[in-house]
Amino acid sequence: MDCFHTCIHITELTTASMLPADEDLVVKYVEHGDERAFRTLVDRHQERVFGYLLGMVRDREVANDLFQETFLKVISALSRERGSYTVQGKFLGWVLRIARNAALDHLRARKKWKDVSSSQTDDEVDYWEKLPDESPLVDVLLHRSEQSEVLRDSIDALPEEQREVLLLRHEADMTFREIADLTGCSINTALGRMRYALINLRRQLMAQHSKDLTEVAE
Amino acid sequence: MKNEKRDILLHLYGEADSESDLRTLLLKSDLKDEHTALSETKFRLDLRKRDRPDIRVIETIMTAARTGDTGSGVSSRIDRGPLQRISRLKKMFIPAVGIAAIILFSVGVGLYSVQLKSNSASLLSASGQNDLVPPESLYRFVPSRQGTISPSGSVNNELSWDDQSTLSTLNGRINTMKPSGLLDWGESAVPLEMLPGSNPRGFQTAGSIRK
Repeated sequence: MDCFHTCIHITELTTASMLPADEDLVVKYVEHGDERAFRTLVDRHQERVFGYLLGMVRDREVANDLFQETFLKVISALSRERGSYTVQGKFLGWVLRIARNAALDHLRARKKWKDVSSSQTDDEVDYWEKLPDESPLVDVLLHRSEQSEVLRDSIDALPEEQREVLLLRHEADMTFREIADLTGCSINTALGRMRYALINLRRQLMAQHSKDLTEVAE
Repeated sequence: MKNEKRDILLHLYGEADSESDLRTLLLKSDLKDEHTALSETKFRLDLRKRDRPDIRVIETIMTAARTGDTGSGVSSRIDRGPLQRISRLKKMFIPAVGIAAIILFSVGVGLYSVQLKSNSASLLSASGQNDLVPPESLYRFVPSRQGTISPSGSVNNELSWDDQSTLSTLNGRINTMKPSGLLDWGESAVPLEMLPGSNPRGFQTAGSIRK
């Protein structure tokens, strides 16, 4: 069994090492006009970027629009001798920065985004100590088939800064260090927001579950 | 405690450094509970189905990538900014509309007053009473049978437009009460005895009159 898993792991590593890096694809597109290279980039990152945008704006049409706007800006910037993209190996971070700006512009225009201070010196302790977790375990919740809908609603109900960190980590697959860089906060603040996002999410799921059980009992 | 909870989270997401040992952390019950609770929620999140953009969006992007024309794609994008445009309109056009409304109102009032004046003038010129009609008569009923109005300065003049009214009588009384010789400012003082109707012996005390 162990040998089997090891073989799979080696195969994955080999496959991953065979895939061209983002930077190579960018060079192919910019230097040689290779559309397939750009298509590979879009395919590779579309779920991350779109998942983040959809979680932020909570509207599929708007997320489609922002996704298109983001990649059109990417094309425009790359056509201007790579524009602002000069850092090796940070293509996704660069694209997500463009996507984030587009999403925040959209949310600010609709007064749905309150800018959070990036100062974390005062609230770091609060993030770790303020909200004690006294909730019981939620085994039953994890078996529910309709849980994805409830989960999405629960994510939407999170405070915006917690929701964004959760989306960047789970949808865009960014590390906490990258999230901290992108959102302009410390890594401790990013971790604290993530922790409370998970705790609040769990509580909401439990509350929903209790409500469902009550309805069934009645 | 703070760093240990932080390490729990980093372990959960595979970002812990090599110095931190998860097994040691989990020996503490509170940290173990924390790890269990967070990992359950994370597990649920990891199972989420990933969303993708619509295929037409990808096609638009690839067309732009091929042609290098990002302008058409931007212009054909889904209209998502009505509120933003409205707020922009509010900022730009509402003050302009307000100013225009004020100007139009001022011009309208001016035109109305000019028209009113010209109407009054044409009314007067049509009735041939341009200069002799006092302004207040414009707001009174003036019978058309009246020919002309004589100037109102003569002493024995009666008001011709209302000769049957009490005003005529009152006018007559005023005329009769007028002194025959009017005193002007700057004239020398006249003894009271010389005034008409006064006693020729001058002032008398009350006691002398009783006698």
